[in-house]
Amino acid sequence: MIGGGSTGAGVARDAAMRGLRTVLVERRDLADGTTGRFHGLLHSGGRYAVKDPEAAKECIVENLILRRTASDCIEDTGGLFVCTPWDDPAFGDEFVKGCRATGVPVEEIAVAEALRREPRLNPEISRAFTVPDAAVDPWKLVWGCARSAQEHGAEILLYHRVLALEHDGQKVTGALVRNEMTGEDLRIHADVVVNAAGAWAGQIAELAGCRVNVLPGKGIMIAMNHRLVNTVINRCKMPADGDIIVPIRTVCVIGTTDTRVADPDELEVTQAEIGEMLDEGEKLVPGFRESRALRVWAGARPLFSLEEVADTREVSRSHALLDHRERDGVEGLVTITGGKTTTFRLMAEAAVDAACDQLGVERPSRTAEEALAGSDDGRFYLLGSRLRAREPVPQSDEIICECELITRERLEEAMRRRRTANLDDIRRTLRLGMGPCQGGFCTYRATGILHAVERLDHRAANDSLLAFLQERWKGVHPVLHGDQVRQARLDDWIFQGLLGVQHLPT
Amino acid sequence: MTYDTVVIGAGVAGLTAALRLAEAGERVLVVANGVGSTHLAPATIDVLGFGPGRVESPAQALPAFTEANPDHPYARLSPDLVAASVEWLRARLPAIGYQGGLDENFLLPTAIGAVKPSALVPETMVAGDLRAGGRLVFVGLGLKDFYPAYLADNLAQAPLDGRVVSARSLEASPPVAGEADRSSVGFARLFEEPSFRDALVRELAGKLERDERVGFPAVLGLRRAGEVWRELEAGLGRPVFEVATLPPSLSGIRLYEAMSAALREAGGRIHVGQPVVGADTRAGRVEAVITQPTARATTYRARSFVLATGGFASGGLQVDSHGRMSEAVFDLPLAGPASLDGPRFLPDYFDEHPLNRVGVAVDDGLRPIGRDDRPVYENLHASGATLAGALPWREASGNGLSLATGYAAAAAILERAS
Repeated sequence: MIGGGSTGAGVARDAAMRGLRTVLVERRDLADGTTGRFHGLLHSGGRYAVKDPEAAKECIVENLILRRTASDCIEDTGGLFVCTPWDDPAFGDEFVKGCRATGVPVEEIAVAEALRREPRLNPEISRAFTVPDAAVDPWKLVWGCARSAQEHGAEILLYHRVLALEHDGQKVTGALVRNEMTGEDLRIHADVVVNAAGAWAGQIAELAGCRVNVLPGKGIMIAMNHRLVNTVINRCKMPADGDIIVPIRTVCVIGTTDTRVADPDELEVTQAEIGEMLDEGEKLVPGFRESRALRVWAGARPLFSLEEVADTREVSRSHALLDHRERDGVEGLVTITGGKTTTFRLMAEAAVDAACDQLGVERPSRTAEEALAGSDDGRFYLLGSRLRAREPVPQSDEIICECELITRERLEEAMRRRRTANLDDIRRTLRLGMGPCQGGFCTYRATGILHAVERLDHRAANDSLLAFLQERWKGVHPVLHGDQVRQARLDDWIFQGLLGVQHLPT
Repeated sequence: MTYDTVVIGAGVAGLTAALRLAEAGERVLVVANGVGSTHLAPATIDVLGFGPGRVESPAQALPAFTEANPDHPYARLSPDLVAASVEWLRARLPAIGYQGGLDENFLLPTAIGAVKPSALVPETMVAGDLRAGGRLVFVGLGLKDFYPAYLADNLAQAPLDGRVVSARSLEASPPVAGEADRSSVGFARLFEEPSFRDALVRELAGKLERDERVGFPAVLGLRRAGEVWRELEAGLGRPVFEVATLPPSLSGIRLYEAMSAALREAGGRIHVGQPVVGADTRAGRVEAVITQPTARATTYRARSFVLATGGFASGGLQVDSHGRMSEAVFDLPLAGPASLDGPRFLPDYFDEHPLNRVGVAVDDGLRPIGRDDRPVYENLHASGATLAGALPWREASGNGLSLATGYAAAAAILERAS
């Protein structure tokens, strides 16, 4: 299993649950690629109801399944489609028709009711429709699948990059991978290799001499300091740039764009794109432009196309399963790409079905029924859960990251479990440094704790701190304005004035 | 209400200007939105620590520094005035017990074990001076804002020009009454209780080695810090020092308390919680500023005004989502980068970002000037982090710059008045 995004982790879980001996290799950390760089929207399908009905149908089916099986990863925010003064109200009728045809539950509500639910919405909206959109925490979801896979016997190898696919004639027999931490190479034999490398799937398929046309479609997103809305807000129009705001955890995220790029590892964010995103946000939530923007990032959608296209928005959001035995005469290799995080489970099921077919085994998938650990009771994640866990005994433990309410115990536990000197790995596990101060207070603390827990020498600890500062800065600086500049300058005073980290030995 | 001078901002720059003017007999009012960066930064008076190499003597380094940086605020000041401001503060605040001067910087350990030069140091921090070498032990108290083992590891590697410092750490667990998440202010209150100090002294007594100086996070009391520090030195029988750490800064709060108390004693007034929302300006003069803490606006008239609202950190300078930069109270012209159209920030965190040196340019009387180099208002002076041309967090010049420019603004006002 190649790729540690939602699809890859889903494949590993599905395969391991079917009793297949499974190993997952990921070149970096779990959900470090596209899965960890989207807005966190669990689609109802409404977004695609008019334009891409097949994708809409898949989304609503999977949305309902994940609400049962991964409820702890989902905040049930609900979703609204609204017609702003810039949108044609007549599209609303087409939208309702599309939702009805694809099975997406939709209901038109009074504008006054929409404004009562979301007081910061543009009061000039003319129509509003509810759909079962939700917010999904990508890291929790992927780690939930990965842990479940491990419990069923799968091995997860992080920071292992695929160098080559091993061949025996026209059959793929495994992979040569490099441990990026130690530099050691490892040969893995496998009867079937599943390529779920997402936007990188073309690069992996090429190692087996197969051509897979994956068009990386760049999408940028901006996280705002507050939950300006508590419901997923969509513009009621054909999908376009900056038409969705997703409230997720302590922030809300506006997205996105869709630009074809050559290399999914080179995603540049331009000031023009940021400006456009803020302007679109302003149409949905007046005052959006001057609200505190925390950071901006870009993800690469894996869009599969049989032919060359100029505009990636025209490519279906449905997934693609390629059995290279039938397609290219190459045995032992299955590629699953395209699709969305919302449909990751379906994609994983399809990929493992194809793998089982090649292996000649017949075992059905159970992932549509069996819930992830923590989601057994079907209760959705609540925004206040970390606070709720702490409130009964308010002085029980130190809070190391105040923005995200991370206690010392949780942080130390995560460090011991992850065995990593990379604070960004810890961020993906606990959301360390993802709040309003963007690491201003927790970076020194977390490094001090890491130094003790992992027994790092001063150089390794300093490298961890400086790398985390740079990683945070990367997403902060392009969108730094307004009150967030005060925060950034305070952080400068802490790191460069008070601590003097620029003078540390590295 | 009419004053001789109204100072806007209650940080080190504003309080210095106000205290100097009040001492000279002026009727002075300080109006401020909130307390200044004193509550966030240590009380050390860093005049020039890096220029860009480490500075041993600010007095010797300043002339070459201002020559190389003609747009730096220090270039507007005479070396004698900078020296006079430092001497004045040292003598003026006995409660802080400042030591040192411009001749030679102290070298203090930071909370992460880097080395920071500083000109004027509170007595509670002096024994941390690394110039003398020696053996240091850093004591952790279970405070989440201080990591002595990490500090000691780095400090043992610090470049000290051949001076030998040995550093180690100890974790103490003094009785904190069941509060696991005690803040630095909470610890400061505990340190003011004799029973807490006694318990800590007893716990440490057998664990210290000969000749070791003992470093604590800078939480040794608030109102009675000097007494706490002296009693710890007596109890442990050796020099004790504080190491500044994450905000809130107890040493900075002490500085604010000492300066504002001195100002009140000298007859000045401070109104904190009064954001200035407007100004009455005419014929090249500022006639009044208007504050609006509640529904009712208040107008304060004065002969002179000092703008000491701070830089981007304090909101004295602002930038909006279109990249438009402004000075918050008078919308003064800004200077600093060669072009305001390009990127404000660069991709590497430690790059010199174009926004960094943006601020208000001033003449030799510290009056904000426009593009024609002429004062915008004949009776408005600016000081502190509002000024263009400095990188105080990089130069280790923060409080020194605020002190010297606040002092100079007061000097200019007094000179004109006479």
